[in-house]
Amino acid sequence: MIDVQHLDYSYGTKAILRDLTFDIAEGAFTAILGANGCGKTTLLRCISGLLTPNRGTVSIDGTAVSQYTARQRAQKVALVQQHPQTDIEFSAFETVLMGRNPYQHHLQNESQEDWDIVEDAMKQTNTWHLRFSLPSQMSGGELQRVMIARALAQQTPVLLLDEPTSNLDIAHQFEIMELLSAINRNEHKTILIVVHDLNLALRYCPQALLLHDQSLLYQGPTPDALTPDRIRVAFGVRAQNIDGYLRFER
Amino acid sequence: MKKRVNIWLVSSVLLVILAVAMALCSTVGVVHFDRESLLASPIFWNLRLPRVVLSVLVGAALSVCGATYQSVFRNPLTDPYVLGISSGASLGAAIAILLGLEAHLWGVGGMALLTALLTILLIFKIASIGNRMHTTTLLLTGVCLTFLITAVISLLMALRQDKMESIIFWTMGSFASASWMDVWIVLPVVVLGILVVLFYSKDLNLLLVGSETAQSLGVEVEKVRRRLLLFTTLMVAFAVSACGVIGFVGLVVPHCVRLVCGADNRRIIPYSIFVGGLFLLLCDTLARTLIPPNELPVGSITSLLGAPMFIYLLYKSKRSI
Repeated sequence: MIDVQHLDYSYGTKAILRDLTFDIAEGAFTAILGANGCGKTTLLRCISGLLTPNRGTVSIDGTAVSQYTARQRAQKVALVQQHPQTDIEFSAFETVLMGRNPYQHHLQNESQEDWDIVEDAMKQTNTWHLRFSLPSQMSGGELQRVMIARALAQQTPVLLLDEPTSNLDIAHQFEIMELLSAINRNEHKTILIVVHDLNLALRYCPQALLLHDQSLLYQGPTPDALTPDRIRVAFGVRAQNIDGYLRFER
Repeated sequence: MKKRVNIWLVSSVLLVILAVAMALCSTVGVVHFDRESLLASPIFWNLRLPRVVLSVLVGAALSVCGATYQSVFRNPLTDPYVLGISSGASLGAAIAILLGLEAHLWGVGGMALLTALLTILLIFKIASIGNRMHTTTLLLTGVCLTFLITAVISLLMALRQDKMESIIFWTMGSFASASWMDVWIVLPVVVLGILVVLFYSKDLNLLLVGSETAQSLGVEVEKVRRRLLLFTTLMVAFAVSACGVIGFVGLVVPHCVRLVCGADNRRIIPYSIFVGGLFLLLCDTLARTLIPPNELPVGSITSLLGAPMFIYLLYKSKRSI
């Protein structure tokens, strides 16, 4: 589904990603793991087409992301960014409706079908009751769910999320991860998610990409990616796996 | 979640109000006519009517540009003059006045247009990095250019104090010399510019949310932003050249519309056309009729009328949230 070949990305002279090659099967639920600054967010942005790699290609559905027009790309990949904007004056409903933009022409208004899809996405993410609320009136978890609803309204086969749980309490972290699991199961969406909480990844994401030092350290089932040895290399901490739960020490 | 079918209805109502207002405003003035003599009078046909039409065109153009800039730059404080186009035009006008070109047809306006267009070229050149346009750089360049050009104009005025008054009066803005020629020069640019902005009004919503969000939702951000900025700056350049710098309209009309009808640019842009046109028409009518036979600067009327209205709307909307 997602095929990455010899991907290089650098800001000026600083390399962020070096010679990354991997592919993600259709319907996989994959965590992107790694220490701060190892290029996780950059990788997501390259896959979503927001950034153009210096070298190498990212293909989705067999076509290079750079070959798609912005509209076509937005029909293939949806991205939930790390920090949703809170200062905008659009209601949750209007925000989710924007997810239908890639399917509309410039002067075209929303059809009944668009409205139905939006209602569906909002009910699925449990945000329908918030439809008249502005971002400033919502909590972090609610806003994050609205952003996921917008991504669902895009009806893409691929869903990318950049730390969707980072500002949430533990209950809301579970809620978001369970929602994503359900989306993965029921709609067979291919999901790539950047997570910092390794236990959360272990619990919810069957697959993992472990990045270290701007390159790929391991790709495979999450329990195999998060062995004490690999955790020491990637994060520089000691870890113990106690009954499927990771305990860390310096 | 207001129903959107109302856009055409509201626009039609606003259009009718605007048309009635135009008709009424062109009947009032220093010289009074009865119904028959009005339509026979060259004062009506060659002075008042072009003036009424031009004020509506300029008001609509400035409001649409203000609304566009506020979304493109994601900054509620931007007005059509923020990129320095107005000061660019003022420099040209000042030079033309110093050279004594006032008597020539469009001597001052033409020179103002020329320097305004040069200013646009300059800021686009400075703010483009590769094929990308950096909005913060663009804004800062505009602000700096405004300072630079204003300084040059002040120097020119200091050196030629005999012309100071005419230069200051030009920069305050006025429709007193409006003619059909002004209308024919401004009309095509304004109509084309407004059509372009209307075409991209949905993309404006997405740009308002953020350029990366817009891009990931299928907007060709660089292309759209470049086109919008090009056509709006052209509108501003032509508007300023025709009538000088009229403040406040472009800043506040979009905000007033936004306070009443919400953040959706698919409503803000069309409504701003009518509200902006109507507002400037009324202000100019007051400017020329309040203390006959003298004229008040229309820029001061826009602020005197607009500021309290805007503050009232702000106050009201704060209470309803």
